[in-house]
Amino acid sequence: MSELTHASAPRRSIGGQLLGSSQLVLGLILAALCIAISIAAPQFYSEANIIAILRQCALVLIVASGMTMLIITAEVDLSVGASLAFVGCIGMAVLNSTHSLALGMLAALAFSGGVGLFNGLVVTRLRVNSLIATIGTMMMLQGGVYLFTREAVQNHNRLVSFTDLGAGYVGAVPVPVILAALIFVIAYVTLRFTTLGRYLYAVGANEKAVRLSGLRSERLKLFAFVVTGLCVGVAGMILSSLMNAGQPTAGRGFELTVIAAVILGGTSLLGGRGSLFGTLLGVLVLKVIDNGIIILGWNQDLQMVVPGVVIILATYLDIIRNKANVR
Amino acid sequence: MQWSKSILFASAAVLALSAAAAHAENMPKRIGYVTNYATHEWYQNVIKGMKAHGKELGIEVEVQDANLDIAKQVAAAEDFIAKGVDVLIITPVNEEGVVPLLRQAKAANVPVVLEGNPVKGMTTMVAICDYDTGYFSGVEAGKYAKEKLGGTAKVMNVGLPLLSATVLRSQGFMDGLKTIIPEAVMVHDLDGGGNPDRALEVSSAALAKNADINIIYGINDSSSLGGLQAWKAAGKSQDGLLTVGTGGEGLAFINAMQNEPSYRIEAAMFPEKEGFTAIDAAVKLFNNEEVPEHIVSPTAPMNGEDWKKYYDYDGTTRTIKWDAVNALKPPAKCMKTSADLKK
Amino acid sequence: MSLASTASLKDQPSMLARLFARQELALLVCLILVLAFFSVTVENFLSVRNLTNVLGQASLPLIAGIGCAVVFISGEVDISIGSLLATIALPLIIIMNDSNSLLLGVGGALLFGLIIGVVNGYLTAYAGINSLIVTLGTMFIMRGGVYLYTGQRAIPDDASLDSFIALSDGRLFNVIPYSAVIAIVLLAAFAYMMQHRPFGRQIYAVGGNQEVARLAGYDVRRVKFICFIISALLATVAGIILAARVGSAQHTAGLNFEFQVVAATVLGGVSLAGGIGSLSGMALGVLILQFLSNGLRGLGLPTEWQLVITGMIIIAAVAFDEAKRRRANGG
Repeated sequence: MSELTHASAPRRSIGGQLLGSSQLVLGLILAALCIAISIAAPQFYSEANIIAILRQCALVLIVASGMTMLIITAEVDLSVGASLAFVGCIGMAVLNSTHSLALGMLAALAFSGGVGLFNGLVVTRLRVNSLIATIGTMMMLQGGVYLFTREAVQNHNRLVSFTDLGAGYVGAVPVPVILAALIFVIAYVTLRFTTLGRYLYAVGANEKAVRLSGLRSERLKLFAFVVTGLCVGVAGMILSSLMNAGQPTAGRGFELTVIAAVILGGTSLLGGRGSLFGTLLGVLVLKVIDNGIIILGWNQDLQMVVPGVVIILATYLDIIRNKANVR
Repeated sequence: MQWSKSILFASAAVLALSAAAAHAENMPKRIGYVTNYATHEWYQNVIKGMKAHGKELGIEVEVQDANLDIAKQVAAAEDFIAKGVDVLIITPVNEEGVVPLLRQAKAANVPVVLEGNPVKGMTTMVAICDYDTGYFSGVEAGKYAKEKLGGTAKVMNVGLPLLSATVLRSQGFMDGLKTIIPEAVMVHDLDGGGNPDRALEVSSAALAKNADINIIYGINDSSSLGGLQAWKAAGKSQDGLLTVGTGGEGLAFINAMQNEPSYRIEAAMFPEKEGFTAIDAAVKLFNNEEVPEHIVSPTAPMNGEDWKKYYDYDGTTRTIKWDAVNALKPPAKCMKTSADLKK
Repeated sequence: MSLASTASLKDQPSMLARLFARQELALLVCLILVLAFFSVTVENFLSVRNLTNVLGQASLPLIAGIGCAVVFISGEVDISIGSLLATIALPLIIIMNDSNSLLLGVGGALLFGLIIGVVNGYLTAYAGINSLIVTLGTMFIMRGGVYLYTGQRAIPDDASLDSFIALSDGRLFNVIPYSAVIAIVLLAAFAYMMQHRPFGRQIYAVGGNQEVARLAGYDVRRVKFICFIISALLATVAGIILAARVGSAQHTAGLNFEFQVVAATVLGGVSLAGGIGSLSGMALGVLILQFLSNGLRGLGLPTEWQLVITGMIIIAAVAFDEAKRRRANGG
């Protein structure tokens, strides 16, 4: 019985329109926020501020793209914040010794992909609940990064291409925003228009049924873990470019921001339901709130309170809307 | 084999004993230090200073890390007391939170030296003067602004309201700056969380709101660098900008002073020296000697290349020049302390 | 269908009980191994002083872990307990400073805890929002609220009541910390409830299979609602003890505490999926992690190694446990 109600959920969201249920609520919240903030503080709409917001969004969106896939398969990765810091240090160290952006990126991606693979194997092979497995990985990475370097890895390479990764522009658009858009589009197309995407939803909705139909559900989950890891690799390199150093202390609480954005976007933690478009809106809402509080000169402690209220409220409104639809 | 080893040990022990005997005072055998968070370069260098001085005096210095967790700090100190260390040194994660710990240490007859932050009921504390540190770097910043920035001073303070020490630094900086440029203003007063990525994020937003500033002040190096990176990421030139850092806790500021044209002033706090002084204080307490409530550890503003006076840097590690740092005379009293803040 | 499942429901306790007995044995062996290893490698590790110290330190995750386990068994999660620790310390300390009465302070704290539990429970059980989202939200709201209210300053305990200090320094017969005594009493009471009272059986049933529980006539929503209140009230007790141990209301109190408790609870064999696990397993999980971190500190290992080793052990223990369970289930 419970399996039946479960199975019906993904069908609706896979077939759902671009602006599905929760996205509409979220879009309205975002619009209301932007209007309210810009009335109170016109600087909100300055070019400089929009670029600042987008750059902050880029980091979160890149990782959230992978995380959305992962949560759709009903798993989660809490180690992304710790991994973000570690990747930045490794990338910077390799850049310093090789003076090659390609090799630095490669090392970062290899490491973060490796972390994703490790998480994925622990979860799929050893059957450890992903919440616990990735808390474990988080601790190991937090410790590991200090074993790797006790201090920030300084930029000794002075590569212009590396500096551009975080602070550069193509035309008027910051490079991180372009990278985020690229990753977002790839992930979006994969989830919406490919068989692989459909399978990911199916695994999250009903793993047993998927296994019975002959698909290797473990492989699909493993894939989502590795993709999430690779996204962290890209974000970590952008962050270290922005900071001009590999910072072992970076990324504290980053995992919670990412996961909050994903679930705010309507992706169900039970798996099988969710969309990347919602995630995009979730990221925007959270970062606009963050930015607005500073622009308005409000107490920065509200940067914790307001997202908490918004997450609960948005989910609740979504539930009410769903109920209304059913009646 | 076993034999020769034990002979080695024995002779080492004899050597150590005779070294200790050479001192007039009794030396504690073991000192336990519970640090705030050992992953920070500041505390790593405090520990370095402690261990170096401990070795000179033949004292074993054991270190535990609270890792910013007050509950873990209490647990680690309990461990040390159970283990029977002779003196405890503690960097409080929070000033109010270690009051019970002092009570427990007292009950177990273990003297306690505090590093960094004062606590109600303490015997002695080794700490820099945060307000003074900010103040003198503010004076230097004022001189620089008068000479190179056309006499205006519009400050973005990348602060940390969490700790009274860091609030004092920001206050001191503005007060010192105003002695040279009375019309100096603080345009942005930010909570950068003391860490670089948070500092970058809030500074970016603040600069987007109003980029009409010409001085970035950071309560530590991560904060000033986060602010500076936000400035650079906004695509602005460093001409006409001054960045002032505080702490000089690690390598980051050396790198910045070598490569960033605006990073001209660093308020050095010499963590190694603070560790060194804390060990001296611990020895005095062990011998029941009279000690002042606040033992001041020196700080100094460093302009441009000044840091080379105090540190050797070979590209990977820095080494403190003890003679230069030990020659600095700390003030007997701070201009302002956290007690003034509470009024 | 309903007949068959209610029948299997009645079989469950005894069958599960046997499974748990084996699981707890494995945990016990694990704990003994930890103790044995450190007793050889760390001086004074087995001293009465050190062992009782660890019990005092373990009292916080033990007490909060009861609530965590109860909520897990009901099929939900509560990750707001870390922020709750910081929140309830405010009324506790403020009221005590004003009234010089431990009773009033504790009453105020429990009232706050009750309200938080009602909010978490209502939003989850009656409004139907996923509990991870609810408690993630209240976690942010409470932490931010504490920062806002205190201006990120700790509030000192100026009353310094002897009874409050005793919660930190006092020891029963001068040996066992009072905090540990409170933990043991609560643990025994709730273990009795879970195993031998109808409500405990209801919690297991609701977490095991909601539909079946509903068919058996249990009020699923009410059971979950109460579980959240239990969790919040127990976390409040832990928060009161923490406030005594640090002599103040700390705005950063309990940061990452939820991770610590969740890890220990799952390590103790309580399944996140609901319906499976026991409080004694949870308690063993807490003790293993506490003695582990005490021992690693004793070895003088730096934080980074402590983190790495703890992370590895959590993963390894849960993986081992999972493998054993699968073998037991023959699949």
